[in-house]
Amino acid sequence: MSIFDKYLTGWTFRANRPSLEVGSEIDVFISETNGSAGRAYIGDTELLVEGAGPETVEKQVRVRVTSFDETTATGEGDLVEVVGESSYSG
Amino acid sequence: MSDAGDEPTDQFTQPDSGGPTVEFYGGRGMSAFPIAFFIVWAIVQTALWRIGDTGGLIVGILVGLIVGMFFARGDWKHYANTIFEGMTQPVAVTAIVAWIWAGMFAQLLQDGGFVGGLVWLADTAGVGAALFPAITFVLAAVFTTGIGTGYGASIAFVGLFFPAGVLLGANPVLLFGAILSGAIFGDNLAPVSDTTIVSAVTQDADIGGVVASRFKYVIIAAVLAFLGYVVAGGAMDGIEVGAQAQEIFLEESDAIGLVHVISMAAVIGTAIAGRHIVEAISWGIVVAVAFNLVFGLAGPGDIVMFNAPQDAPLAGPLESLPILTIVEDPDAVGVGGSLMNGVAGFLELSILVLLIIGAAQIMIRGGAFDVLLEWSIENLATNVRNAELTMVGTAALINAIITINTAAEVAIGPYISKIGERFNLNGYRRANILDGQTAAMGYIFPWSGGVLAGYSAMQQLPGDYDWFEQSMVVTPIDVVPYVFQGWLLVAVFIVAALTGFGREYLIDRESEEVARV
Repeated sequence: MSIFDKYLTGWTFRANRPSLEVGSEIDVFISETNGSAGRAYIGDTELLVEGAGPETVEKQVRVRVTSFDETTATGEGDLVEVVGESSYSG
Repeated sequence: MSDAGDEPTDQFTQPDSGGPTVEFYGGRGMSAFPIAFFIVWAIVQTALWRIGDTGGLIVGILVGLIVGMFFARGDWKHYANTIFEGMTQPVAVTAIVAWIWAGMFAQLLQDGGFVGGLVWLADTAGVGAALFPAITFVLAAVFTTGIGTGYGASIAFVGLFFPAGVLLGANPVLLFGAILSGAIFGDNLAPVSDTTIVSAVTQDADIGGVVASRFKYVIIAAVLAFLGYVVAGGAMDGIEVGAQAQEIFLEESDAIGLVHVISMAAVIGTAIAGRHIVEAISWGIVVAVAFNLVFGLAGPGDIVMFNAPQDAPLAGPLESLPILTIVEDPDAVGVGGSLMNGVAGFLELSILVLLIIGAAQIMIRGGAFDVLLEWSIENLATNVRNAELTMVGTAALINAIITINTAAEVAIGPYISKIGERFNLNGYRRANILDGQTAAMGYIFPWSGGVLAGYSAMQQLPGDYDWFEQSMVVTPIDVVPYVFQGWLLVAVFIVAALTGFGREYLIDRESEEVARV
């Protein structure tokens, strides 16, 4: 991305509930877990992540999106790997 | 946030922050007592009784710290050590260094006739009182964006543009507001600004990307602020400066003083070249001294003068030196000149700020800070819109309380990160929300570092100019509504949170690797 493009990025109104593309891989922070599956919020869109246990909470993980419902803004996905830490944990 | 029934239970855990190290009778909230006491004292002293005395504010924070100690549980040495911990933070010292260097620089330019040059230029170009605040806003914004320190810019512009504008008939309160607004613009946008750097580092974002992505918020606020200063400049009257005094000053105003535009350019140029702010302003000081001497704008004795008593052993033989004067009056003994006068105005302020940062540390270590933020995370950040509004609100509140905005930003950075990451907002968006409020709130209230710095510089003006009367000094509380860039920047972020303007999720774009400073 050129410097000029960086200045032009974001002059838009982004939805509270962004759509997810089935089959894509996205990196998100997991906010909570029930032990076997975790939940991530992308805005107000909810993504249930299979395989995201307590060790992934507040970690950035790569998720393969397996389903997404536009009307309820909820989706499911599979954990691929942990890719990063929270910026406030160091 | 909706509940998905039998799906994952809420086990949102928080990293261990180490817990409060100072406990208080009455709970964690009592650790805010010293700061709260000081704010009440500052409002009563400066707003209700109109006493703009920095020394009085020092007494206020001292009393707050002493009384607060009686609420501390256990050994009071922890309380005392926490004050020291706060006072020795680099951010506090950084602000003091910026004030002192900028104070010397501004005084050199002032004594070198720069104000006269500005008046000459405005008079020649036909810039009237109405347009002067708007133009000052733009120039202060450019200057601050170049040097990166809004505190330094506030001092320089209050020392230089403020008297020029007042003399030309601009409204002093509006003019002070315009200077602070320009400082906010630059503090927010400059890549070399300490708040820009802290916002990027705490949100794991690259500084270049942060600056580029925040341009949209800053420029929208700035365009509106500029229009505001144009309109208000036409509507608000200035103070009547005696016609004779005005005429004399105009006659004495000389274009040669404008040579110091190069001194300012030297500061901006070296800062943009990536040099440390101390080095950048030092170069400005060197260039300004050279111009003052070469063009005869000020002599060596105007820059630094030793006023020695008659009985000093080496004073007599060296009396011919241009920087030495033997004085008969014992009260006249001392060191004077631009450099000394430039520093002197900020000595009390430096002590005050160290004590306030110490009191802020009590609030952080005592847990009042955590109480506020934990409550807001649990109760307010219930969806992405509310989360962004919470980020704006808490960042604004903490920055409104803690005098040095960089210190406030360091303290609240992790919480902004925590709330933002929960909704997968990317580092740019988080950094922009954080720094927008940090820059804005650092220059609005009477106890804000930027306002205190500008006010301290302003208090020296009656001694610098015969025509500048004490009544022309702006009471800090009066300027609050006129810091247009600050209020508009906060408003822009509130609208951005409500509408999603500029919002970016991690799935849209990830910030690049941050260059840790």
